[in-house]
Formats: sequence, C-alpha cells, structure tokens
Amino acid sequence: MSDILRMSFAIDPSDHCGATRAGHHRARRPGRARRVLPPLLIVALAGCQGRQSVLNPIGEDAVDLATLFWVMLGGAVVLWLLVTGLFIYVTRFRTAEMSRRWAEALIIGGGVVFPATVLAGLLAYSLPLMATQRMAGDGLVVHVTGEQWWWRVVYETPEGARVVSANEIRLPVGERTAFRLTTNQMIHSFWIPALGGKTDMIPGRENVMSLKPIETGVFRGQCAEFCGASHALMAFEVEAMAPEAFEAWLDREAQDAVPPASAAAERGAAIFAAEGCGACHTVRGTDAIGRVGPDLTHVGSRHSIGAGILPNQVEAIADWIQRTEHLKPEVDMPQYDHLSREALLDLGHYLKGLE
Amino acid sequence: MRYVLLTLAALAALGLVGAGAVVGLGLYNVSARAGHWPGVPWVLHTTYNQSVRLRAPSEGEVPDLSAPGLAELGAGHFESACVFCHATPDTMQTATATGMKPRPPHVTDTMEHWEPRHLHWILQEGVKMSGMPQWPAARADEPWAVVAYLERVRAGTAPDVAPPTELPADAPEALAYCATCHNIDGRSDWPQVPRLDILDGDYMTSALSAYRDGIRGSGFMQHAATAVPEPALAELAAWFAAQDAAGPGLGGDAALVEAGEELARQGTGEIPACIVCHGPGAREDKPAMPDLAGQHATYLRTQLHLWRDDGRGGGTRANLMVKAAQDLADSDIDALAAWYASLPPGGN
Repeated sequence: MSDILRMSFAIDPSDHCGATRAGHHRARRPGRARRVLPPLLIVALAGCQGRQSVLNPIGEDAVDLATLFWVMLGGAVVLWLLVTGLFIYVTRFRTAEMSRRWAEALIIGGGVVFPATVLAGLLAYSLPLMATQRMAGDGLVVHVTGEQWWWRVVYETPEGARVVSANEIRLPVGERTAFRLTTNQMIHSFWIPALGGKTDMIPGRENVMSLKPIETGVFRGQCAEFCGASHALMAFEVEAMAPEAFEAWLDREAQDAVPPASAAAERGAAIFAAEGCGACHTVRGTDAIGRVGPDLTHVGSRHSIGAGILPNQVEAIADWIQRTEHLKPEVDMPQYDHLSREALLDLGHYLKGLE
Repeated sequence: MRYVLLTLAALAALGLVGAGAVVGLGLYNVSARAGHWPGVPWVLHTTYNQSVRLRAPSEGEVPDLSAPGLAELGAGHFESACVFCHATPDTMQTATATGMKPRPPHVTDTMEHWEPRHLHWILQEGVKMSGMPQWPAARADEPWAVVAYLERVRAGTAPDVAPPTELPADAPEALAYCATCHNIDGRSDWPQVPRLDILDGDYMTSALSAYRDGIRGSGFMQHAATAVPEPALAELAAWFAAQDAAGPGLGGDAALVEAGEELARQGTGEIPACIVCHGPGAREDKPAMPDLAGQHATYLRTQLHLWRDDGRGGGTRANLMVKAAQDLADSDIDALAAWYASLPPGGN
C-alpha cells in the first residue's frame, strides 16, 4: 500500500485523466463513499496513462513482476472466496456442533498444512524472479547518484567512454543495461515502475541492478524512498529507444555543447556567464565547469527540467530559475529573482537551445 | 483575617496610585545634574558588574589578541566611533562627555577590573541606560579588535593610528577618513582589512550601500558608511577602484595554497568552482562579484565563515553566496583563503 501511496504523490499534476475528475466529484458525497473512495481514487490515479505504473510493464523484469502480481491477486481472490464460503457454510447451513475429529482435521489441515504448502509454492515461484534483476548487463553501465533532489547520471560504454548527463535515463530496447546506484547524503530509491523493481541508493554503498526494456516509449521514474522536503519532486523521464537511435543519441550526448545561435540565446549565454551559473553547472565546451548541479551540456534535448517536475520549455526554464525555492523547497540551487523577466527568458532560450 | 487582607489591598492600591503619579505626573527628576539619591549608584553599578560577569564569553572564546593588525584596527575604529565619550590615551575627555551621567570612563580607565572577555561583552552588547551603545552588527568577531586595542592601552603600548595628513590633490572628500584603515592606495597593512585596489568600483558602491542600509553587518563599516555623506560613497569607491593593483601575491603555506587552488578551480560535487565568479581570469562581465586574487587571507577567512555560519548579507546576489558557502569545511576555508591571498592581483 505504501508504494501505491508514494506513486500517487508522484503523479504529474499536468496529467489529464477522466478518472481523477469523476473520483473527485463522487468523493464529495457524504457518508460511506467518503471513506471508501479515497483509496480507490489512489488506485485509479496510479493507473492513469500508465507512464508510471507497474501494471503497464514495458521491461522484462516488470513483466515478471506484473505476472507475479496477477498470480498473487488471483490466488488471494480464490482464498478469499474459499474462506468466506466456509464461513457462510458453517454459520448458515451447517450450524450443528462439529465432531472433535473433524474440527482437529480442519485446524491442522486448513491452518497448517494448506497455508504451508501454498506459501512454499509461492516462494518457490517468486524467489527466482529476484535473480533476473541482478543479472549482469549486456555491456552498457549507467551510474546513477541520488542528489538533493535530482539524479546525476553517467553512461559508461563497453569501450570505457563515460558520458555525463542528468535527470533522464535513455536505454536501448532489447538490451540488458546494468545500473550502479549510490548517493552522497540521503537514502533514495531508484524506481522505474514500467521497467522493473526499485533499488535503494545508500550512502557509501553501490547497489547493482539491471533493466531490459522490450518496447520503445517514454516513461516516468521516481524516487521511492522519503528523502526530505522535496522527495515527491525528485522524478525523471525514461526513454527506451531502438538500439541504433540510442547509439546515435549517446554519440551526440558525448559531444561538447553547440552554442545556440539566436539573438535571445546569445544574450542568455552572456547572462549565464555573468551570473556565475558555471560555478555549479557544466556546459562542456564553455567556461562552465561546476559539478554541484546537473550537467547542462545538452539540457535542451531532455524531456523535462527540474528533475521531472516541469516541461522543457523556455517559459518553464525561466520560471524555474526565478523561483527554484518555491518550486522545489530546500533545493540547493538559489533563486535568481533579481533578474528581469526578459533576462530569465533569454536564459531559457539559451538552455533550451543546448540540444 | 479579612481585616488583614483589606489593609494589604488598600496599601497596594495606594502604592499603585503613588507609582502612577511619579510616572504620569513627572514627579521623578531625571536631571543628570541632580544626580542619584544616596545608595542608588551602588545598586546600579553592582547590577551592571554582576550582569557582565554572568554573561561574558568564556576564557576559551578569547582569540589571539596579539594578532598583527588587530589592535591597530581596533584603534582605528576607536578613533572614529569611541573617542567622543572616552577620549584617546593622550587627550582628555571633553566637558560635554564628562557631563554624562553615568560619566563615561576615560579610555585609560575603561578596563577597570575587566578581563578581555568582559570587555568584549560590553562592546558587543552595550549597556542599557548608560549611553554605551551596542555594537552595530550582531556578529561577535569584530569587537575583539577594540578589546585588543584596550589591552595595548592598558599595557601602555597603544598603537598610534590616525588619518593621513597629506593627501593627493585630487582626493575625494572623506578619503583621509577611509585611509585611516584602508590607506590612500586601498592597500591596508592589516590583514583583517580588505584590499580595495583589487575591487570594482560598482561592486564597492553596492557594498557600501549595503552597509549603510544595514543589510550587510559590520560594526566597523556600518559606522563608517553612515559617517560619510552618501554622495561621497561612489566617489570613494571610484578612487579605490582606480588604484594600480599590480604587484606580487602575499604568499602562503604551500600545501594549503595547492589544496585551495584545486578546490577553487574545479569545485566538488558540493562546492562551486570559485574562479567562475571570483577569478582569477577574464571576468570583466561580472562586476557584481568581487575579484579575490591578492586579497588578505585573514579577511577572506572571516568573510567565508560569515557566509557559511551567519548568512552574511550583501548586494542583490548575496543569496547565491550563502548557498555557495554552505558546504565549506573549516579546512576548505583556510585553503581557499590561502590560495587567493597568494595570487598576484588581476593575475591568471
């Protein structure tokens, strides 16, 4: 349940979903519905769109987990029907006292032998599923470090090249990619529900997992371990790409930044330099060399900004720079509310242009 | 029993009426000339002594008062802010000052029986109903300079600090006043006092405004920036900015300098790369951020501690530096200060 709750936090407020509106409307009715509907609403919300849903598996591991879920659910339904049926039978149809022999057989058989057999069977079925998530990758290794509240991402190719990125994961379809997960300060948990299970990130440790997408698509990942004020605002976009497209993207991601040419972007680049943004952010190929915040060399080509919380658009970038502390409480990035709106939009044009 | 209670209530009411009359009808004579009734000065002075003793910092918090420049800086501030009441070791108090009640002690008597830690508390906090003001800024590091000066006065070795008497013909108004501590060329000899010849004029004007408006805290500079007429601030900033900042760096411990260079040039996952905003290097486009190459290490250390621990104020971009400094360790601060001090001004 707690995982479902966490997931409900992570739902992008911009997602449109009929169930949300209907649920809200019905939840206003007084009485029993008020108590019953919120949990249902959460379940309904979590299923919306399926961008961040374990029930919409796009990865080999997620398919296993979804199957496990349905098997468990089916078993639970059967058991519930059996127990309820038995209850009704002994209270309504066969109310006479049971012989001692029958009663003992029922307690030992139904209370010990039957559950032990069922649980042993489930264990034998489910335990091997954990092994695949820890399988070695096919070559590509993605190092992800949890930060307050964003993701430092480094792709390591089989040839040993390292490509620095942030707040987005791209993976080749049909290949198993290894993940090496760690963090510096706080415990986080790395979770892409559509691709597989989650793995905690623990300071001073490197946890290993692997994922294998089987279809292309764009999904959402989310930190799944409470890590402070902006835990719910620590998300990322995931794109599973055809292998050739992924190779091309990684080659491009490895290149230095290409300075955008528009007049607004050029003004933005000058403001970026003058405000000292490069003390915390790297834009490879420029004087910006900092490592405190996300690498921005190709920020313009990402699906989102602010670690999965805003669309990657000029206006949104300007809003983010102006009001970081409102949009992501306690974030390390200071807000540049001393800049004019024009200057902020110029910065937006520059960063959006870094593709 | 009822009789006793009624009597007490009547007495209390009478006392309240009496107190109200004294306050409301002005019956108490506040005249300094009239002075106190017998016994009152003893009560007040004892209260003062015991209060200071109870609240003064501990022995362990007293810094090295013999640090170079510290007593001189204290003397410079004393000369500007304190002489009106306490005079200098060589002069007598004015008749106006001695007319105060209580009478402020002459500088040579201010120490009385006090230890340095007690003097610090009196300077930092001020004393109610005595005319002794609180230190203009809340930060506790600055009054130690005046304590160091007073200790030198006690020892009979008070440094002789005075504004320069010979000024260049084109010197702006109030330059002599600033030059008491900053020297005419902006290169102070005291490591607690920042070099101004390496700074940009607009940056200094903005810093002076921040002092004047109380946004940036410093007992020395808030006093100075409010003592000088406002229009003069920009001229003074321009004067110091125009000084030739050439010359060698100040040197420093080699290992510390090396560690500082690595940190400042590269930053870490938690600490921004200092050079992006503060040089050295081509950064003419960043007038809002001070150049640090060649700055005094002692001054830099103090400022970095203020940024990290006390949320130092400044210009419109002060919040950037508060975040930048939040993860610095003491050893980082020492290293960064040492490296910047070792650099030649404007060098690369």
